[in-house]
Amino acid sequence: MTGGKTLTPEYVEAMIAKCALGDRSAFEALYEATSAKLFAVCVRVLGKTPIAEDAMQDAYIKIWNNAGRYRVTGHSPMTWLITVTRNTAIDRLRAQRSHKDLADYHDVLAAPGATPEQAAIAASEAGRLAECISTLPQDRATAIKGAYLEGYSYSDLADAAGVPLNTMRTWLRRGLIALRECMSQ
Amino acid sequence: MIDNPDTDDMLAAEYAIGLLEDAALDEARERAMSDPVFAARIIEWEARLSQMADLKPVNPPAAAKAAVIRRLFPQAPHLSFWKRAGLWQTLTGTGVAALLLLAITSWQAGVPQRTGPLYTAEITSQTGDFRVVAVVDKTRNEVILTRTAGAAPAGRILQVWAHGPDEPAQSVGLWPEGESVRLPLPPEIAAVQGTLTLGVSEEPPGGSPTGLPSGRVFGTVGIPNVLDAI
Repeated sequence: MTGGKTLTPEYVEAMIAKCALGDRSAFEALYEATSAKLFAVCVRVLGKTPIAEDAMQDAYIKIWNNAGRYRVTGHSPMTWLITVTRNTAIDRLRAQRSHKDLADYHDVLAAPGATPEQAAIAASEAGRLAECISTLPQDRATAIKGAYLEGYSYSDLADAAGVPLNTMRTWLRRGLIALRECMSQ
Repeated sequence: MIDNPDTDDMLAAEYAIGLLEDAALDEARERAMSDPVFAARIIEWEARLSQMADLKPVNPPAAAKAAVIRRLFPQAPHLSFWKRAGLWQTLTGTGVAALLLLAITSWQAGVPQRTGPLYTAEITSQTGDFRVVAVVDKTRNEVILTRTAGAAPAGRILQVWAHGPDEPAQSVGLWPEGESVRLPLPPEIAAVQGTLTLGVSEEPPGGSPTGLPSGRVFGTVGIPNVLDAI
């Protein structure tokens, strides 16, 4: 799933440790090993646009600058890289969205079924989480994905689903609790 | 049970997923920095949720790599170093002045008496909670480090690392305690000509078990134009 032995946690972790010491060749090796995974995150959040590439560049700059803090987080190496990248891409998306009309994205969220492209991406989602999400009621799964992968706020999600804010909050929290319990099994 | 969720864990989940806003976000961020149990909850949620972004690889445009490298390592990366390090402000600190004096006097006391280059640089963490001033004495091939802010967490020690341009990093030595430490440079590090990079990490007693930093790296600094003593 992760595309080759260079993505072993040990390898990625060693490259991050060397980056923390300012080792430029380790950064290049880390980039080679992980850029397709991290670009996929940016493309999922921002579409296949120049902004997705910018976001990936920003993520690598954060990774280089914060490599010394990686161990403090307690994440596995790919989790850390993906989390940094997802947060960077979401920040970009929100900044971009703040200039746009709200109506632009209601359509996306309110759409009953995924587009073929979204379905292909969804099918590739790895790990137990995908299984667990598929057990949730559709509205809760949509809300969780909308928050994590599209950066929507509670009020965005409530508007898009046509429910009161508190209902959305309850859906989402119950969805997250169900996920946590499903994933711990 | 579902009707009575663990409030802290939900707060951590909402933080990780990005649903907190304004004051609630600031509050959670502050708490994450001061409450390790809460921080651990956030990390667990980040790990769970990150699976949603663990996707089939998509190759980025080939030019992206060169663009990142250009942004990170501009042509003359060390020109602004002295300014950036804020070194001379730091050097007004008495501890550092004393250290410099010590470095200079011990270098003067060296037998045979030779004049050799002395390089000074400051290693600082991004958040400014950790600062070390390093003096590299090329006459003796030693590095003398003094903490001016921060320390290893309880039960941990400091370890000093170094490398030359495009060379692998290696341990210079352990710094188990004290305000300052004097370490001989390993032969490979003593042989570095050009930019010498120094870094400090926190490690278990006895040092990193992996040969690379295994704990937080507080920071690194590049000292340009390092030459051998004549």
